[in-house]
Amino acid sequence: MKNYLLTLVVIFGLTAAVSADTIKATVNGMVCGFCATGIEKTFKAQPEVKTVDVDLENKLVTIQTKQGQTLQDSKIKKLLGNAGYSVVAVARQK
Amino acid sequence: MKTTTFLSLLLTTFSPALISEAKPLSYVGGTMVMQENDETGHTVSLDYTFIPTNAFGFYLKQEENGKEILMVTPEFNTLLKRWNLPDGQGNIFNMTGAGLARYQGNNQPCLWTAFLADYESRRWFFSYEPRFVWDGDIEKSVWQRTRIGIAPYLAKYNDLNTWIMFQVDHHPAKHDHFVATPLIRFFYKTYLFEVGYSSNQHIMINWQIQF
Repeated sequence: MKNYLLTLVVIFGLTAAVSADTIKATVNGMVCGFCATGIEKTFKAQPEVKTVDVDLENKLVTIQTKQGQTLQDSKIKKLLGNAGYSVVAVARQK
Repeated sequence: MKTTTFLSLLLTTFSPALISEAKPLSYVGGTMVMQENDETGHTVSLDYTFIPTNAFGFYLKQEENGKEILMVTPEFNTLLKRWNLPDGQGNIFNMTGAGLARYQGNNQPCLWTAFLADYESRRWFFSYEPRFVWDGDIEKSVWQRTRIGIAPYLAKYNDLNTWIMFQVDHHPAKHDHFVATPLIRFFYKTYLFEVGYSSNQHIMINWQIQF
């Protein structure tokens, strides 16, 4: 029983470690292609980031991180702030 | 060939210049090259944004429609205030430069400063810019410019964006006090191009690239 539980913990831990985040940030102030490109370049320069998608219509920036990596909310807000925009909300899914 | 003539040709043909109606800041680490050719002359600027609120660069203008003054200055662009709204963005910028002005072989210190207020949504655009120029003993001038624009369709990020715009310049010291310019703006990702034709019969061609 003890070994069984230990195995479960290890498997669960490994699964969590290799999973990637899909982060959706709702952003105010994004209105044009220049905005989108600035945001895209900013996030693509981050080592944790695999893909970035900017949706002007829905004011969403969708970031997918690399396996086993994540981006903290504070870093997302800082990066978007440096690009000139305001973060309204951040939602995540594994 | 005179230096000023050569520079005019260079500006008109190849170099980049300040489009005062486009934002004078990029994202941190971004560089902008801009060119403006209109009834006021030919302007070039190259700016690097080093913090979210400031860019530093180089500004060169060959004036026309009056005295043909050449101005060369470093420039410093500052975001004074930004409003990030759900459906738009409003800004107030200051752009300032100090350097040299040349007119008929006479070199003078020069100083210019401008304020740019703009609001842009995916559908509407509005800007207003007063500009103050002091070219030593050569000339002192104040002028202002306003623009309105509408996007005939709402483009996505990867689409070609099109704007129909109308610009009015007010130059109290020049022969044509008021100049109206209808124009079309296109931009695709980080490339912007504008073409228009002014009421005093000058072709406007502006472009901007960010990288």
